[in-house]
Amino acid sequence: MGMTQLDRKLQAGLLLGARVEGDRLQLADAVLRGALDGTRALTQGERSALQGSPLTLRRFRQLALARRQGVRSGWAGSRGMLRAADSGAIFDTLHTDDRMWRLHVVDSGGKLAVILQLDPQSRGAAQVLASGVQVVVRDGAGAIVLHGCLDPDGECEGPWPFATAPAAHFQQHGARFDVMPDV
Amino acid sequence: MRLPGTRYQEHGWEQVRKLLGQCSLQACARFTPAMLLDADPLDSLAAYIDAVAPLLQARAARGEAPGNSYGDTVAELALSLVFELQARPADWAALCAAVAGEHARAPQFWTRPGGDAQLRKKFNDLYAVLRDKVDSDNYAVACGRECSPNRMYAYRMLDTAYHEIARLFDAWREHPAQVGAILGREIGAMPIEARQLRSILDCRPEWILNWSASQERFGAAPGPLHTRSKRFASLKDNPAKIGAMLREIGDYEALSGNADRDWLQGQNDADVWLEDYWRVLNESEQGSTPGPDQILEAQQDELAAPVDIEPAAPESLDAPALAPVADGFCVAPDYCSMAAAAEDRASWAARRMAQYSLPVRLAVYLKLLGPCDDSYPPEWLIGAGGELPGMAQLAQLDGISLPTLRKRRDAAIAHLNAASLEAAGIEEKRRWA
Repeated sequence: MGMTQLDRKLQAGLLLGARVEGDRLQLADAVLRGALDGTRALTQGERSALQGSPLTLRRFRQLALARRQGVRSGWAGSRGMLRAADSGAIFDTLHTDDRMWRLHVVDSGGKLAVILQLDPQSRGAAQVLASGVQVVVRDGAGAIVLHGCLDPDGECEGPWPFATAPAAHFQQHGARFDVMPDV
Repeated sequence: MRLPGTRYQEHGWEQVRKLLGQCSLQACARFTPAMLLDADPLDSLAAYIDAVAPLLQARAARGEAPGNSYGDTVAELALSLVFELQARPADWAALCAAVAGEHARAPQFWTRPGGDAQLRKKFNDLYAVLRDKVDSDNYAVACGRECSPNRMYAYRMLDTAYHEIARLFDAWREHPAQVGAILGREIGAMPIEARQLRSILDCRPEWILNWSASQERFGAAPGPLHTRSKRFASLKDNPAKIGAMLREIGDYEALSGNADRDWLQGQNDADVWLEDYWRVLNESEQGSTPGPDQILEAQQDELAAPVDIEPAAPESLDAPALAPVADGFCVAPDYCSMAAAAEDRASWAARRMAQYSLPVRLAVYLKLLGPCDDSYPPEWLIGAGGELPGMAQLAQLDGISLPTLRKRRDAAIAHLNAASLEAAGIEEKRRWA
């Protein structure tokens, strides 16, 4: 049985048009991303939760489209870790494992600012820049550190969002960070 | 105010609300509001949608002023809110109950002098609640964080308060006492804070609290954080929370002010995510991910207080009369045979709905995808604009009553829904075989 373009639109309409009174997000982004990446399939209960919650499904769609956008630009996200030696005293520049991104924090007029830089020499950097994708940096616990668009130089800057100093904060929250395309 | 995903939080909302009020009254006139008292709200909801949607579509086709800074027009925004309502019968039931309550106090109030305004107020209330429900969902979808309708309302309250404070700072000469109360000191010369306040990011949470506390003293109604309502109770003594919310509004405003966010719309094949969906379901069925299920707990949002209805601003009654909308174009006598011949018989939907008549099948498309879609065969379309026949015309074509058509259409949709999962599996196997 074939799926015509009209069929697909109809299916999307069926899925996205449904509403459930009191609906809420049932699955964390990490779980949905794992399923999309194929790194961790949904359990049966999670699958039912996705199918039973139009709101969660709409979030899934958002992440799926962002991921496809990332794949199109050749980049679906990067990860980085704090070096074990980091004592928490000084926050050094962090790199993602793929060396695509640098993350550092500067003192800007008495306030901390966090800066993400795309390495223009890295593989796929030009496509990422050209795709106009927004990026989001999260700590190991999933909290947003920085969110925004890259400027033409491949940089994105924002205020340091936490009360705790950067080194201590990252240490307390999984000692790692993600840079992901976002919508 | 702009926040991720939201569509109904900018000034254009006033126009959307007015248009919905006008068109709703016009729609009610077609089936008399007594129908809202009927036992089954699902029936009256369907009748209302069928009556109001064409009125708004006619407006949308004419192209009008934008209702937000994303370029959605007022009529498009109104139409998509009606589309949401169709999937949220509980909201409609609340409207019916409100109309019934008024009717109990003043029988047939809509026929009395001023009854129009009363009826319109009920619709205003319905949509005021619905817009925050819709936008809090949109927000959750856009950033993956739970948001209650009341939290959305609180963001808007803070944004309004900031603009009010900025206005007072700007006119500090005329309002030295209240500006002093906000800043917590006496004002002699121009306060430096007035010069520095450029965006909501510069607004200090204490100012919001002081402003709200001072409102009554300066001749206004009590400030939003100082009424007897419990609505913002969790913000009242919590400048840190207020500050975080102000920052979120300001950060997003700065981001969305110069960001090109159109890249998602740029994907012509916007249903490509379905493939991901089917794949993920399939991998889940094949896979054996060990438990436990990682399902999020329901979060307690302190701002998720029961929503009391936002008082709608009084509205003048001199709304311009709406142009009458033609009841639809003529349908050629051989329409059904032409349309049936143009249907792709191999299609999943056509086969699944084969037991239903052609007009019922078209009614399904009309409900799920709207009157215009570039995937419709031209033989399905009528009129200069090229759209599907309306519900009344489809009922006529089928020789059945409108309520019967609605029932059959909804049965067909339920049938499709059940078949949709199975189809996902088949499609998936075909694709990955």
